[in-house]
Amino acid sequence: MRWAVLAALAIGLLLLALYPLVATGYGIRFMLQLFMWVALAQSWNLISGLTGYVSFGHVAFFGTGAYAGAILVTTHGWHWGPASLAGGVAAVILALIIGYPCLRLKGPYFAIAMLGLNEVMRVLVSYFEGLTGGGSGLSLPTLHASGQIYYAMGAAALAVTGAAHLLITSRVGLRFMTIREDEIAAEAMGINTERYKLYAFLLSAFVPGVVGGFFARDQGYIEPISVFPLLTTITMIVMVLFGGKGTIWGPVLGAVTLFVFQELVWARFLYLHQIFFGAIIVFVVLLMPRGILGVLQERYRLPRTI
Amino acid sequence: MDDGHLLEIRDLTKHFGGVVAVNRCSLVLAPGKIYGLIGPNGSGKTTLFNCITGLERRDAGEVFFRGERIDGLKPHQVAHRGIGRTFQIIRVFPELTALENLLVVTREPFEVAYRRAQELLRFVTLDLLENEYAGNLSYGQQKLLEFIRVLMRDPELILLDEPAAGVNRTLLNELLAAITRLRDQGKTILIVEHDMKVVMGLCEKLFVLDYGEKIAEGPPGVIQADPRVIEAYFGR
Ligand SMILES: Nc1ncnc2c1ncn2[C@@H]1O[C@H](COP(=O)(O)OP(=O)(O)OP(=O)(O)O)[C@@H](O)[C@H]1O
Ligand SMILES: [Mg+2]
Repeated sequence: MRWAVLAALAIGLLLLALYPLVATGYGIRFMLQLFMWVALAQSWNLISGLTGYVSFGHVAFFGTGAYAGAILVTTHGWHWGPASLAGGVAAVILALIIGYPCLRLKGPYFAIAMLGLNEVMRVLVSYFEGLTGGGSGLSLPTLHASGQIYYAMGAAALAVTGAAHLLITSRVGLRFMTIREDEIAAEAMGINTERYKLYAFLLSAFVPGVVGGFFARDQGYIEPISVFPLLTTITMIVMVLFGGKGTIWGPVLGAVTLFVFQELVWARFLYLHQIFFGAIIVFVVLLMPRGILGVLQERYRLPRTI
Repeated sequence: MDDGHLLEIRDLTKHFGGVVAVNRCSLVLAPGKIYGLIGPNGSGKTTLFNCITGLERRDAGEVFFRGERIDGLKPHQVAHRGIGRTFQIIRVFPELTALENLLVVTREPFEVAYRRAQELLRFVTLDLLENEYAGNLSYGQQKLLEFIRVLMRDPELILLDEPAAGVNRTLLNELLAAITRLRDQGKTILIVEHDMKVVMGLCEKLFVLDYGEKIAEGPPGVIQADPRVIEAYFGR
């Protein structure tokens, strides 16, 4: 069984690696966006799925990474690869600065604080025109790199999924979960919840920052509203809730299902798409709070480590 | 400052707004004994536990453990000094399995922790349920799980807040036997319990709280006859 799963994974990865050889330009761009959503959903799951601290401003890390990466590329002539990694570092630094005060807040207060962070970042970016181009945005030098960005996004999605696997199958991940389960009991049992919360938060900020850098390079042009939209955070949340929060493959399942649906069917009917999204939120919250994988795990007594 | 006491509380006071939950309470625990903490509802027993374990910040007074000040420490730091506790209202990790509830609280190498966890699960006859989510266990089973979760960390001092409530007869006897065995291993136990039969049978010494004040202490037999204690329990 284990070998079958590993073999299937290996074949899947191989096919994805070979895909650009036969793909159209549209196909590649479709897939690289899909990878981006997997990476974002998976990152959100690390803080909110595992520790239960629901972040409503996770796109702030994405936007920060996008701007940091884009600025390094345009004004310092960096290659977009290292520039995006630096974007990830910038996101982690932001998480470190706001993590200390914000992670003391409980429940909805943390969610709201994160929402506020995103608004603040967007305003800041608009304000410092000299660095960021302000409201008129930032254009990157023309470069046709979709093929490379495909692999970069894929690597990010793979890396954060691997990290989720390592965490959820280890005691460190269990300690993250005790914060979600009962923070007071966790403390009384000797778990330094403040520290583990911060670890989870920093981990969850890095990949969105990196992916933001890739996104900026892929788009060639960014502006405050394009990299700090609340809708991006909400999409991450819905993907994770739909697939199964706190699981390894739930965010992947949610991201793939919803993105494919969105692109293939609903993008043609703009308003219907939003209604559909709202309906999914209601459906999941009311009927399937543990998401698809959560339901399967409970019904078929599957281990959590899926 | 080490005078052989395991725990010493001096003049501990804790207010909640206008309510004095614990009032200038002092007590001393020697190692290797089972102590009882009794008192009417709302007399401050749980609050005293919370102040010892750092979950509530005391307003005044001091707590010493093995001769060192521990008031002002964070709960996880108190736990690392060697104090473990259970809660009056069950606080297992419901969406972790029984086994994971135990594994997560230690830093021992996995193999060691795993063996220890299995031993403890067998000890309270939960071994067949190790992969069940803790939230799916019965009330009594969850209480036992919380109890052995404390033992996973092998603390010197164990604070039990009404461990017997809701546990059925058979399991209760096993629980009491387990507590005695821990004492025989040299552990110190402070137990809050309303069931007088349990308290009388188990404890060498009782502390009685009333309106947050310690109104009596002594062996169970003496306490039972103490007019102030009788007054506190029946005289209102
Ligand atoms: N968090 C809190 N906020 C306000 N008041 C509190 C709080 N915790 C306890 N109290 C009050 O402090 C007093 C002592 O409560 P405590 O829970 O310590 O009593 P107890 O002896 O454990 O009672 P019981 O036997 O019912 O468990 C009570 O009057 C209670 O209402
Ligand atoms: Mg109580």
